[in-house]
Amino acid sequence: MRTQRLVDRLDSGIFGGRRIQAWSVFASESRRHSIGAKDRQIGGMHSPEQLSESAGARYLVVWDDGQISRGTLERRQVELDPDAALAAARASAYEDPDSAQVLGPHDYPDVDLHDPGVAAIACGTADLFHSRLADLQQRFDDSDLRTWSASFSASDVDGAVVTSAGLEVHSSGTTCGWHATIDGEIGDGYSARKAECESEFQARVERLLAINRSLRVRTTDLEAGRRLVILHPRVVEAFVLDTLLHHLDGSQVAHGESRFRHEQFGDPSAVLREDISLTLEPLTPMRAGSYRFTSEGVPAARCRFIEGGRLIQPLLDLKYARRLSRAPTPLSNGPDSLRFSGREELSFDDALAEASALVLGVLGVHTQDAASGDFSLAAPQTLTVRGGRLGARCRTTIAGNLFQLLCDPELRFVRFEGETTPGLGVVCRLDPA
Amino acid sequence: MIEQLDQLDDLGAALFRRADEAGAYLIWRAQARSVSRIVVRDGRTEGATASSSIGHGVHVIGASGFAALGSRDDLLPEAALDVLERTVAAADCAGHPGSIPVSVPQLEVTRARCVPREVKEFSAIDLPSIGQRLVELESEIHSRVDGTRLLTSFRAEIDAWRVARSDGAVALFAMPRCSLGARATAVGPKSQHAVSVQVFGTSPRLLTDEAACSLFLRRAEQAARLARELPDAPRHPSGSFPIVIDYALAKGLAHEAFGHAAEADGFRSSVLARDGRFRCGERVGDDRVRVIDEPIERDHAWQPFSANAVPRRRATIVDRGRLHEGLADIWSAESGGVPITGAARAESFRNAPLPRMSNIRIEIDEPRPAPGRFEDYGPSEVRNLLGEAGILDRYPRVAFLSGYTGGQVNPVTGDFVFNCKAIYGIEAGRVTLYRPAIFSGSMFGALAAIREAFGPLQLDALGYCGKWGQSVPSSGGSHYFLFLEPDPTVRLGGD
Repeated sequence: MRTQRLVDRLDSGIFGGRRIQAWSVFASESRRHSIGAKDRQIGGMHSPEQLSESAGARYLVVWDDGQISRGTLERRQVELDPDAALAAARASAYEDPDSAQVLGPHDYPDVDLHDPGVAAIACGTADLFHSRLADLQQRFDDSDLRTWSASFSASDVDGAVVTSAGLEVHSSGTTCGWHATIDGEIGDGYSARKAECESEFQARVERLLAINRSLRVRTTDLEAGRRLVILHPRVVEAFVLDTLLHHLDGSQVAHGESRFRHEQFGDPSAVLREDISLTLEPLTPMRAGSYRFTSEGVPAARCRFIEGGRLIQPLLDLKYARRLSRAPTPLSNGPDSLRFSGREELSFDDALAEASALVLGVLGVHTQDAASGDFSLAAPQTLTVRGGRLGARCRTTIAGNLFQLLCDPELRFVRFEGETTPGLGVVCRLDPA
Repeated sequence: MIEQLDQLDDLGAALFRRADEAGAYLIWRAQARSVSRIVVRDGRTEGATASSSIGHGVHVIGASGFAALGSRDDLLPEAALDVLERTVAAADCAGHPGSIPVSVPQLEVTRARCVPREVKEFSAIDLPSIGQRLVELESEIHSRVDGTRLLTSFRAEIDAWRVARSDGAVALFAMPRCSLGARATAVGPKSQHAVSVQVFGTSPRLLTDEAACSLFLRRAEQAARLARELPDAPRHPSGSFPIVIDYALAKGLAHEAFGHAAEADGFRSSVLARDGRFRCGERVGDDRVRVIDEPIERDHAWQPFSANAVPRRRATIVDRGRLHEGLADIWSAESGGVPITGAARAESFRNAPLPRMSNIRIEIDEPRPAPGRFEDYGPSEVRNLLGEAGILDRYPRVAFLSGYTGGQVNPVTGDFVFNCKAIYGIEAGRVTLYRPAIFSGSMFGALAAIREAFGPLQLDALGYCGKWGQSVPSSGGSHYFLFLEPDPTVRLGGD
């Protein structure tokens, strides 16, 4: 994207009779290519092969009267009409001293994020996707499924942060992924900076089909009560990690809406069980969640949020870092850049020996009140466990309070093959539905 | 913004000429969107943004009948023609094993324009003044209920489309949406709870409209009181109970349980279809029950035309307790055995449109009276309604679920879940507040369990629906309250 006209306009330092004191622009341009199947049918008008091109920018302008403007710009505004964009920005300016800051040059890590093969797919070469979609179709059709849907996508993104303080840093990254659902209820997929190798793809498909086979045998024979339940890594990501990140978010902490108070960060007392840690690791090559810098220009780096059950550091952008008088932090960019761990991880088989059920998926995560940590979730894809072996499927509901579970001595971390996030064994209310 | 879409005649002509030369059928969608948003916390502006976007998508059926969709976020002629050429090439190569060619149905060719007068008011939005007004409203809420942290917000959006087809149909329409919101968070010694409310309008003058602000303040006050009480509330036991739901939860039930399963793109797997066709005529509820979806003017989810330039019309999904018609677009109606209702919607020009709901409601013949406004009814007033209807004589204890916080459905199995803001245990002489819990079960069990309705229709329950990763506004409701008999397939979670 041609950002020079916008940068020159900002650099001129004057707009509409006002002086621009500082500015920051995060510009990105991407190409994306996807193909899919909906209810067994590949392509069609509801899931056609798609090619898209997009570009845009996020900006911050600090004016000489102390007011700031921030927002997004579309391609046309960036490339052709920065004056109109700046006029609109000034019209919505407001006072927010904590936001009035831009970063200067820093040292940035080199992280391998780009794969030429994926970049070619993003531009329209789709042989790999077509062959894998055909493969999925063959395997699913051979498995006597009621229905299945799938999508494959690849994107190639260039991004840059430029500021009035002399920062100019660029990054190129690709993303490649797929996701498939069976019978509209159980799914799996993959996302990274490059396509997974054939054997890993086949193994993941096989695991998905094996889970589906387990779900076909049904029972209602499950005793209600407080039980040790294993939450699958997808459930941990969608519910546990998302809730924790919500409460670690600097804006929630600063506004007193987090369960964690500001003064608890750095305090020696544990707020979760004393072996629990949550660390951001955004520098692993070719992971989907890895990156070089945030949209404000904060360098990616390893960052501990929780260690030994103690709060170390909230997630802080520039604004809330200043408000809380702390340094800004790198931010989470997806679950595969987070390391969530406890004292020991049980193998899946060892965990089964202790558990009553394995919860593969839950409905209604987005309906929960994150503030309280209370949860009450429908879990229609629950497998009973008998004598250390997976049994039949039972529709259940699970209920409890997440923060109590994360302090519970009975909590277990469980390793799952092919997953970067662990499963969790938790003691909670389990009811057959 | 509308002018930008009006000025696309030449570009449109060039694109259709090029598609025609390539033997392709084209649906061209240009979209212009502007969003202004401001958030106030603790008496000061925490964020204010005004953004706009424009772009177009070319949805092509190639000469061999296979589809592809290309998009780009500008309207430069040279780039647009390049996107079209690459998309036609992709469609021509899209005939892989398992792909089924698309046939274009015979359609009425309409040329229509629908731009509500309120759209002009959006050019005068003054975010700093709106911020001041939000600070005043925040202060008013605090003066009525203390002990909570408040976030107030205002959002104004115009979503404008120009959709044209190779057969000459053109629809240009704009959907103005404004909402005023508040979230109250209360922190107790051991837990904290947040409760949100919204008021909707189509004009940015919403903030100076006395009736709208009065309604907003009343709802916000109730939310703040509830947030303050919830940390001390116990959990409701789990199981099947006689249940009363308010109109917002009834919207959730209609949307999650019946609406999604009636969307015709899912008929190859939906529980409401057999062999890909809608199960028209089959009984799913009491004779008095209807489930209806339709665009309503000045509503959050109003859309006059589909994303395929077809006028959107009412769809009676359930009529007198029997399945009647689905929500279908031009690609799914014939195979699904239902009429085209113009139900296709898309979040963005980048997305392939899908059959979606607009404003969906559950209607019951001969509802019992509930005079006054919905906001006049707290749990004690609901207890009085139940008592007068003789329900508390049959059931000594009824669970009243209040407020909707979202839901989810599996249209393949008919399993649904949704959550509420609070549960009240209602008995003849007592009302007990409980924390929210998931309400889940089988859609057939839930609809068949509806026995009684109270009050007139209230259809302003707002939400956003995220089907297939595309977020579009949804809304709906029902009578003020619905009573459901206990059913073993419908359960409250809890503890």
